Amino acid sequence: MVTKTEETELNRLENQVDNGGGGAWEYLCLVKKLKVRRSDKVLKHGLSILNDPKRRSALGPEVWTLYEQVATAAMDCHCLDVAQDCIKVLQKKFPESKRVGRLEGILLEAKGSWAEAEKAYSSLLEDNPLDPVLHKRRVAIAKAQGNFPGAIEWLNKYLEIFMADHDAWRELAEIYVSLQMYKQAAFCYEELILSQPTVPLYHLAYADVLYTLGGLDNLQTAKKYYASTIDLTGGKNTKALFGICLCSSATAQLTKGRNKEDKESLDLQYLAGAALEKNYKQRAPDKLSVLSSALKSLKIS
Amino acid sequence: MAGRNDSGASGKKSSDITNDLQIFNTENLQSNMKVIYYSRTFLSIIGGVIAGILGFTGLTGFIFYFLIMAITSVGLMAKAKFSVQSYFDSWNRILLDGFLGGLMSFVLFWTFAYDIVHIF
Amino acid sequence: MAEDLVLDTAIRDWVLIPLSVVMVLIGILRYFVSKLMRSSQIPDPKIVKEGQVIVRARNLRAGANFIPSKSFRARRVYFSNEENGLLHVPKGQAQNAQAQMFSDPNMAMDMMKKNLSMIIPQTLTFAWVNFFFSGFVAAKIPFPLTQRFRSMLQNGIDLSTVDVSYVSSRSWYFLNLFGLRGLFSLILGEENATDDTQRMMQMGGFGFDPSKSLGAEKDSLDIVQHEWALPKFEQRAETVLKNLVS
Repeated sequence: MVTKTEETELNRLENQVDNGGGGAWEYLCLVKKLKVRRSDKVLKHGLSILNDPKRRSALGPEVWTLYEQVATAAMDCHCLDVAQDCIKVLQKKFPESKRVGRLEGILLEAKGSWAEAEKAYSSLLEDNPLDPVLHKRRVAIAKAQGNFPGAIEWLNKYLEIFMADHDAWRELAEIYVSLQMYKQAAFCYEELILSQPTVPLYHLAYADVLYTLGGLDNLQTAKKYYASTIDLTGGKNTKALFGICLCSSATAQLTKGRNKEDKESLDLQYLAGAALEKNYKQRAPDKLSVLSSALKSLKIS
Repeated sequence: MAGRNDSGASGKKSSDITNDLQIFNTENLQSNMKVIYYSRTFLSIIGGVIAGILGFTGLTGFIFYFLIMAITSVGLMAKAKFSVQSYFDSWNRILLDGFLGGLMSFVLFWTFAYDIVHIF
Repeated sequence: MAEDLVLDTAIRDWVLIPLSVVMVLIGILRYFVSKLMRSSQIPDPKIVKEGQVIVRARNLRAGANFIPSKSFRARRVYFSNEENGLLHVPKGQAQNAQAQMFSDPNMAMDMMKKNLSMIIPQTLTFAWVNFFFSGFVAAKIPFPLTQRFRSMLQNGIDLSTVDVSYVSSRSWYFLNLFGLRGLFSLILGEENATDDTQRMMQMGGFGFDPSKSLGAEKDSLDIVQHEWALPKFEQRAETVLKNLVS
């Protein structure tokens, strides 16, 4: 988690480094510590340090982690020759290292030679069957090849052991959604909500999945989760507001003719509509007519 | 005390309508408690040194400790903008947490400073 | 206090201050040494999995009210059913785990290392204090105490007439041992703060017993009352939106 102070510090350093004010090494350290993805900047400033023998030797043994960082960033930016050079240096220094082996695997992956990368990861996994990064890389290979069922299989295998890893659950949920397996995706989102109940995005995604699944129960539940998203975001999430409107009109259609038991939930629907209108009035007045006609078709305003 | 840590400001909201339903972000709650612990330990050490230098003995010293802890509590509350419920799950956290842990440090530094200044 | 003792300033310069400074330095040294000795052994898959299961079950318990009750019940059964639930530990296996722990030399080695890094410096410092500073009245606590504290505070001096508030050097060492914990947590970060007490507790139970914590987690999961919190959110969202619109 990146806190506010750390973020401002990062941005300050980035500005300073970009304008040639020095402090590149501190910036790189902070990027690594916070695990943020600024690959282009890391590549640029890291290379400038590595290409300068004086600054490089000033780092002492820290230089090797810098090589690793730059190699990863270079692969992210698809500068494969740079990555190759960095990895070669590392390999010379640490010929037996598994960490370097992992980097080589990623390089193979970046080059698109999936089978070789797969082989490299498998042999590394034999030595250390509990390396989460290697498991995740295998998922990434399957996903990059478009082999979604394979990715799901790997992810499930991974989650069997590391079942508290919410990032993996999230990845799995997204894959399931893309394959339209909504029941499974709903399960994953439930898991995500359990692990981080205060993140509104999970509530929103769960509600989306439930709404897509359809059926009266699911629609009502979806509406509740849209409501919780609104509560957690302070009503600033437009998608959740639309979600409330859509859910209400869909439930109204399903329960047409039957007795209306939840009269009070109409309030929410009108309020959501009103909030949307206010929002559009402020931000995009020219689209207001589109919105009101859309709301009218949902019988809200 | 002032500006010791602003991560305390990232605490989680509490309920305004329903009193029985509360949501806390465990991470933020823990970070808040850590801030409390730090400020209490810090102040008990500083307070111990001050009490020693001023030469408090007997009950006066302990009253001084209570006073310091009370001031800390008030300071923490002011930092939480007097809406303790938004940052902690109970009042006891802000009033009592780290109270006894700080006492040991206080006594040590009180004795240390007192001996150096007054006994020898 | 009529019978105030006059303490030599040399005692302050050569006993009281050095003792405290050395205690602080040793604490810092120990922190770095234990950091160096921390070995990165390859964890056992079973233990890793059990740890993860516990984290997930704890999440389920904490966030239970955020998911529909159907989903919650399904998960609870998954975790705690009697046949193959994740938290269910078969009876025979529970004892086995203990025995296995003792037989695993790596585990014992690790435990030894941890304990040694605590015990060795402490015994050494204690021996050092005993050897050099035994028999000094090193300090005077600024508050009166009853006679019962004599054995605690005047460890190493056999004088029943001295006021109890005078502290012998050996007892000053113990005072430092407990009182400096707060200081260490301030200067070394919080991971050091509870180290000692935690290790003491660990020594009693000889390490962490996964099957026990699995069972405890199962019990607490079984008694969780599920009350779906989401219906309340509709009202809360209403008030939020009302504030927003008006």
